Amino acid sequence: MTTAVFAPSRLEARARLVLPGLLLVVLALLPTAGLTPNLIRLLFITFVWVTASLGWNLLGGFTGQVSFGFAVFYGLGAYTAALMIDRGVNPYLSFLGAALIPALASFFIGLPTFRLRGPYFAIATIGVSEATRVIMNNLAITGGASGFRIVEHRPFRQVDHYYTALAMAALAVAVSFLIQHSKFGMGLRAIKQDEEAAADLGVNPYAYKLAIHAVAAALTGMAGGVFARYAAFIYPQGVFSFQTSVYILLMPVIGGIGTVWGAVLGGVVFGMVEEQLVANFPQIHLLLYGSLLILIILAEPDGLAGLLGKLFRRLRTPR
Amino acid sequence: MATPILEVEKLTKYFGGLAAVKDVSFAVPEQHIYGFIGPNGAGKTTLFNMIAGALEPSAGHIRSRGKDVTGHRPFSLVKSGIARTHQIVCPFRAMTVLENVQVAAHFGRKNITRTAAARDHARQVLAWVGLDHQADTLAANISLGDQKRLELARALATDPELLLCDEICGGLNPKETRAMLDLLERIRQNGTTIMYVEHDVKAIMAVCDHVMVLNYGQKLAEGKPEEIQNDPAVIEAYLGKAGSQKKGSRPVA
Repeated sequence: MTTAVFAPSRLEARARLVLPGLLLVVLALLPTAGLTPNLIRLLFITFVWVTASLGWNLLGGFTGQVSFGFAVFYGLGAYTAALMIDRGVNPYLSFLGAALIPALASFFIGLPTFRLRGPYFAIATIGVSEATRVIMNNLAITGGASGFRIVEHRPFRQVDHYYTALAMAALAVAVSFLIQHSKFGMGLRAIKQDEEAAADLGVNPYAYKLAIHAVAAALTGMAGGVFARYAAFIYPQGVFSFQTSVYILLMPVIGGIGTVWGAVLGGVVFGMVEEQLVANFPQIHLLLYGSLLILIILAEPDGLAGLLGKLFRRLRTPR
Repeated sequence: MATPILEVEKLTKYFGGLAAVKDVSFAVPEQHIYGFIGPNGAGKTTLFNMIAGALEPSAGHIRSRGKDVTGHRPFSLVKSGIARTHQIVCPFRAMTVLENVQVAAHFGRKNITRTAAARDHARQVLAWVGLDHQADTLAANISLGDQKRLELARALATDPELLLCDEICGGLNPKETRAMLDLLERIRQNGTTIMYVEHDVKAIMAVCDHVMVLNYGQKLAEGKPEEIQNDPAVIEAYLGKAGSQKKGSRPVA
């Protein structure tokens, strides 16, 4: 019985590729179906959020290190891309920079903060995030608090942005799955549950946390970079705000923390809903998020993905 | 005699001004089961924690096959072939029993990268300790006896040369204890050296080749089990001085 487990699981793994592949094809063909620019923009933003959500999920979901400081990576990615594009660098190359600089920054943040555990780590990340925002507000080369306008000397084509963001989100999904089903991912899961026990079995928790922090920062930074190029104007109170950190953390929690599809779902729901909420309830949209968060944590800690899974199983099993 | 697998030299640990372990030296020969007993607070677990890298010694040296490993962190000690089990079991509760052992297979001395290979190795170890029927059960849902076995299986899956067992029989009934001791004997026959701390003196005497008695953080006696059992200093530490007024009280140092 034990040996028979292997053959179907490999088949199952192939089958698991079919659905995401199909989804990717559909999303790639969507712009040819005559979508309104507004809808394409909405999908673009959604892909950006999905990427950031997946990035946070690597550290928060897979490894159990709750960070309130991902706006640092998002903002650094945005500013890196902005400065590079402004100096005439190819935008796609600039997205690489938008991944690398935040990854580098993640070591400086992680080296001291990963010596802290649980809530102390979370609190420290708030401090780092706020400090970065204040510095960026006063930094001359980025225009400080008044923001930075990106002048790109090439025609604006919305579908380019769409496909860039789609490819990036697909990359984030692929990276997440590869990590989840690897030795690296097993080490992270072990750290999430019991750091001491993991170390007793040969896992180096500190090194592993630093490594996944860098991957998470790279994905989040890239999301920031892709967003910056589209937005063409960024400012510290936007990309570096505490609100951005909270948004990035909220998505995987809403969708289903620790699972890849949960983080995707959270990003999709957030991307689709956020603007509507801001537009229709400008005064209380944060209140609505807060309520949603409390509701999910109380009623369904596994998020929307967990809820859907339960519904699915109930429909499958006949009473 | 060949170089011992572990040499400990004047190992000392202070907590504040209190010496929990003081100037303890010994050498563990290969393929031995080396036992440690002593009254509560004698320093057995502190000694283990220092050897396993969970506590930094205040003074002294630990050498593994001649190599100094004093103050090394647990994850690097695992790579040098020293693994441990905990007195209080700490399984990854949200993982299956198999996945628990798979982590050890990945990150132990074998350093297996491929997931399928690590799973295979984990299955073998589970079968070996008699836990294969629970492979796909969540670790949170198995009995304490099985969790103790899982603790041992995880340590074994790191492929250790030296296994530190801290009260592996604690909380088990006599039948389970017997089975666990048989397992320890089989592990030794398989070529792994064992250091064994247990409260249950009978269990220690049953399996150990060599026993050390600790009292107030210091070595009180060491030798073969039968020598230890007849050592007057040991009897005094456990039962009190013959003729003293309160029987069972510990002597004042």
